[in-house]
Amino acid sequence: MAVKLPFKNKKNDKYMSSAPKYRIHIGDVLFDILNHLFFIVFTLTCIFPFYYLFINTISDNDLVRRGLITIIPKGIHFKNYLSLTNVTDLTQAFKISVMRTVLGTALMVAATGLVGFLVTKQEMWGRRIWYRFIVVTMYFNAGLIPWYLNMSMLGLTDNFMGYIIPSIVAPYNIILVKTYIESIPVELEESAYMDGATYMKVFTKIIWPLSKPILATIAVFGAVGHWNSLYDSLILMQNDSSLQTLQHRLFIYLTKANNLKEIMVSNSAISAEIQEQLLDSKITKWTVSMVTVFPILLVYPFMQRYFETGMMLGAVKG
Amino acid sequence: MHTEKTVKSSNEKTTAILFFLYRLLIILISISLFIPAINPARVCGLVNDNMSLFTSAVSYSALTANTIRASMRGWIQDSSFVILYISSIVICLGIIGSVASGCMSLGSLKLKRLGNLLSIVGCGVSAFGFVGIAMSYLQLEQTTKPDKVQPMFQTGYFILMGAIILVAIMSIVLLLLQPKPGEKDIAELSQKYKLFLLILPFVVLTFLFSYLTLWGWRYAFFDYKAGETLSWDKFVGFKWFTYLFKNAATRSDIVRVMVNTFAMSGLGLFFSWVPMVFAIFLCEIKNTKIRRFIQTFTTIPNFISWVLVYSVACVIFASDGLVSSLIQANGGEAVNFLMSGKHIWLKMFLWGMWKGVGWSAIIYIAGISGIDQQLYEAATVDGAGRFQRMWNVTMPGLIPTFMVLFVMGVAGILSNGLEQYLVFQNAINKNPIEVLDLYVYNIGIDKGKIPLSTVVGMSKSIISVALLFGANRVSKIVRGNSII
Repeated sequence: MAVKLPFKNKKNDKYMSSAPKYRIHIGDVLFDILNHLFFIVFTLTCIFPFYYLFINTISDNDLVRRGLITIIPKGIHFKNYLSLTNVTDLTQAFKISVMRTVLGTALMVAATGLVGFLVTKQEMWGRRIWYRFIVVTMYFNAGLIPWYLNMSMLGLTDNFMGYIIPSIVAPYNIILVKTYIESIPVELEESAYMDGATYMKVFTKIIWPLSKPILATIAVFGAVGHWNSLYDSLILMQNDSSLQTLQHRLFIYLTKANNLKEIMVSNSAISAEIQEQLLDSKITKWTVSMVTVFPILLVYPFMQRYFETGMMLGAVKG
Repeated sequence: MHTEKTVKSSNEKTTAILFFLYRLLIILISISLFIPAINPARVCGLVNDNMSLFTSAVSYSALTANTIRASMRGWIQDSSFVILYISSIVICLGIIGSVASGCMSLGSLKLKRLGNLLSIVGCGVSAFGFVGIAMSYLQLEQTTKPDKVQPMFQTGYFILMGAIILVAIMSIVLLLLQPKPGEKDIAELSQKYKLFLLILPFVVLTFLFSYLTLWGWRYAFFDYKAGETLSWDKFVGFKWFTYLFKNAATRSDIVRVMVNTFAMSGLGLFFSWVPMVFAIFLCEIKNTKIRRFIQTFTTIPNFISWVLVYSVACVIFASDGLVSSLIQANGGEAVNFLMSGKHIWLKMFLWGMWKGVGWSAIIYIAGISGIDQQLYEAATVDGAGRFQRMWNVTMPGLIPTFMVLFVMGVAGILSNGLEQYLVFQNAINKNPIEVLDLYVYNIGIDKGKIPLSTVVGMSKSIISVALLFGANRVSKIVRGNSII
């Protein structure tokens, strides 16, 4: 089955822009105005919080403290961001978040591509059994505590690999990739086997390059998932704060605000001036939030196409 | 001639049966690597009881996590733990050799024989590891503080050693039973097994992280506190299941939590038409650029984590946030709206909507683009106005998608997700916000009531699977095709 990618063709746009002609009614005009108004207001509620957050982290701290920055930034400076780079606690969390996102996504995509390819091979011994064995895990879940106890039994608590290894096999993505690979003409592969290519060669030289669109899609979803994930850090890395992700540190700052300074400064060599600045919990919290959300905001507009493709693929499967 | 043939075939039969047992034994051995209860490397009480042999071989720091005090006081020598660590690695390497041999036994005669040789070598290597563990144990037994160090010897040591000796014996027997390969024989593996071995690592990973987790359900039947060892004298049967309903405090907790869960899922289900209407109205905006812009920015919240949504909520609604600033500017008092427990169901629902509506609408937007244009033209010719077209053409085109999502929503009625409620939870709103997933987290991770939490989580999982199959059945009857 070929996967349809609705956002690549202009089919939907055709309908939208060349709507059938109709006479202009007052009701229609009113509806149009209200409709536009609603969507503009709603879009603003989606953008404005981030804008507001941003301008408050770059504006003059004194004005921010008094709550005077609402729409326009005043006294622009980047000291808040610079002072955060001195907090080893945070730079470490940032490093962990980046590392797990990069490594976790890379391994997941490679594994998903390979498994997706392998399960299309009819000649495999017990193919259907293994495919179902993997895919059926989507539908059940043992629960939080058994999961935690299992991870601790496998030695993955307080261990960086606890982020990476469990996420390598992603059943849902395997289904997507398998469906995609099945849509690639079989002749391409067969001619390669005729020429004496091995399975791995066919995978790396033919299947992998041809499935790049779907692999890019699952990579984007995987990366966002890794970056945003909170609960695994929260539950698995309770005892080793140097392994906690940025999301986890932000969660701690937000919910345990009273000893924010204590948490942040305790294990960092920081000058008195910066300490004073960090004391202002509001600005610090907001700056950390901005640092955490920034990669998503930066990447999203460029990757939106892939996100939408992914959503559609899910719908095709459903 | 005739007799020789029958001898040969019976010989082949025994080798086949032996190989089957051989592979089975190797699978069992490799699973036992991950089971802490039979970890032969746990030679003293200082080694954590949730360490498996595999963990002991992978992480020296985990192996010696509890030994710092003992080694500072001079109760133990560091060298015994180094020996223990190296022995664990050696045993694991030996077992890896046996596993490889098990894989090779799927190949041609020559490969099989090579595999058996490898296995014998592997078992020989493991033997050093077992000697090392025994040495480490003897060293630890010399300790001046046996009550603190608690030297012990696991039955797992003998079980695993016995199993490995058995593997070695089987390898030798198999080597003797099989005919010698001819000159022309090559070590090769047939395609079907090659493919199987390629997928095997991923099957093992799935087993470890999805199926092995179910083994954790056993905690529901034991009287277990965090950090203890499971033993049969702590077996309590269905005590915790009945406890849920017999104990007045937990019973009222469960009732409250279920009300919260159903209220929030119910709100979500009741308003699950909103993304559809959102999509229909969005498509009424004829300017492609504006529509594109709206679509891009209303989907962004879906991709930020709940922690960040909470952060955004603080920025706007906390006592140092935007709303309070505006109130103060007009002479009022700062209010922390997030600390109030009022209308929490509605608030959670609205945050969910804010985050998800733009994204959920995309599937309907695609649905609209799939509706046949001629239907619209025909409707226009018949004199249908704009709203009539929306109501009579677009809506019916989207209802099938809506129904699928609705049925899935009903199946997931118990799973609200954890993170949203976890981040918004505080001392004041705790009672109305606690949904089932959060309750499992709170009693399990925060309060350490592991069996009770497992019972709740286990019941939830089983009911959810039942609901999913029920929904699938309903969908099959109503629409003629399944959803899973």
